[in-house]
Amino acid sequence: MAVVRLPALLAQEAGARRIDVDARSLGEALSALPVAGLVLDERGALRPLVNVYVDGERQRDLDAPLTPSATVIVVAAVAGG
Amino acid sequence: MGTVILAGTRKGLFLLRADESREHFELEAEAPLLPGWQVNHAVLDRRDGTLFACTNSWVYGGQLHRSKDGGVNWDRAEGLGLPDESGLQLGATWHVEPGLASQPDVVWLGAEPAVLFRSEDGGATFALVEGMLEQPTRERWQPGAGGLICHSITLDPAAGDRLYVGVSAAGVFRSEDGGASFEPANNGTAADFNPDNPFPDVGQCVHKVYVHPTRPERLWQQNHCGVYRSDDRGESWERLEGNGLPSGFGFALGLDPADPDVAYVIPEEGADNRVTSGAKLGVYKTTDGGASWQLSSDGLPQPAWSVVLREGMAWDEAGVYFGTQSGFVYARRHDGSWVEAARHLPPVLSVSVAEWP
Repeated sequence: MAVVRLPALLAQEAGARRIDVDARSLGEALSALPVAGLVLDERGALRPLVNVYVDGERQRDLDAPLTPSATVIVVAAVAGG
Repeated sequence: MGTVILAGTRKGLFLLRADESREHFELEAEAPLLPGWQVNHAVLDRRDGTLFACTNSWVYGGQLHRSKDGGVNWDRAEGLGLPDESGLQLGATWHVEPGLASQPDVVWLGAEPAVLFRSEDGGATFALVEGMLEQPTRERWQPGAGGLICHSITLDPAAGDRLYVGVSAAGVFRSEDGGASFEPANNGTAADFNPDNPFPDVGQCVHKVYVHPTRPERLWQQNHCGVYRSDDRGESWERLEGNGLPSGFGFALGLDPADPDVAYVIPEEGADNRVTSGAKLGVYKTTDGGASWQLSSDGLPQPAWSVVLREGMAWDEAGVYFGTQSGFVYARRHDGSWVEAARHLPPVLSVSVAEWP
C-alpha cells in the first residue's frame, strides 16, 4: 500500500494525516482520498497550487506509476497572509 | 433555542450567541469553526438547523460545507463543477440559500463565474442550474472587483417557482419557473460607469438584492450606482437618492420583516474610496420606503473608516446586524441602539442570524 501524507487543512478534512491507498498511479492514489475534491479540480486535474512529491521527487503527472511502498506527500503552495 | 449570529470571516466561521435581551453576545468556545477556510457566507437553515458555509481556499477552490450537529462534524457538498463543454471552471462560492419551507430539501448556491446550483437532497449534492448558465445575455456580463459572481439569491415566499439572483456585474435576473430560465430585471437601474449606455438591459453592478419577505412584490437593491426599490417584482426600479443618504454607493443591505418600508444601508464614499462615508461607521435607515433616510449610529464608534461587505449585514424580526472588515460585529434591535457583539475577529465577510431550532 502506498501512503499519502496530507498537509494540515486536508488532514482536518480527511480526519487523518496519513492515508494508505492501494493505487498503481498517482492519479489513482489522489482520487481515492476522502479529500480528492480538494486536491483535484472538477476536471480531475491537480489543482495548480497543490504540489505533490512521490518518494521525494516533485510529480504532477497523474499517470506516473506508484510502487506499493511509495510515499506521496501533498503540500500546499506557500504564500498568503 | 436562542439567537445566534454567524460571522463568516477570512479565517473561519464564528458563532455569537445572544442572550434574551439581544444586547449581549458571547463567542462560542469552539472558535473558529472551519479553521483555515475563508467563509464567504454561512447560514443556519431555519427548516432543520443545518449549518451551511461557502468555504473557499486559494489552494483548494470553492466548496460548500454542511453540518447537521451545530458545527462539530462537517461534510462537503458534491457535484460542484461545470461541464467541459462550457469552457468554464468553478471559482469561489458566494451565497447559500436554503429553499422555502414548502421545499424542505432544496438548497441554492451561487458561485463564480456567475453560476447557480440547486440541491434537492438537503445540500449533499448539487446540480448546475442550466437556465443561469445559458442565460442569453451571458456573453455581455463583466466581472466586478470580486469576480463574475452570483452573490444574491432571494426567493419569493409567496410563489415557490419565483426567485431572483444578483450577479456582479450583470444585474438582477428573475426566474418564474424555478430556475429553468432567467430574464433580466434591471429596468431603471443605472450603469453610470457606462456613459454610452447608462441604462442597458444587463451589465448593472448589483451589490445586494432582497425580496421583502412579507410583501414579496417589493424588492430592495443596493447597487454600485444607487439604492433602489421595486414594487412590481423587479419589472421596474426607482432610484432612491437626494434624500439624506451621503452616497448611493455601498454593499450591505438590511430589511425589517415586519415593515416593508424599512431598510438599512451603509453608504461608502464611492467606488474609488470604499470606506464608510464622512468618517462615520454610519448605518442609514429609512422608514418610509426610501423617501428619506436617517443616520443610525448610536453606539457605533466615531471616527471610523470601516468596510462592510455585501454579505456583511443580516436582519430578522428582532433587529439588524453587521460585521466589518476590521473584525467587529454590531447588533441593533429595530427600535434600539447599536451594541458591539464581537471584536477582533478576522476580517468579517458575512453575517447572518438565526434561531437554533
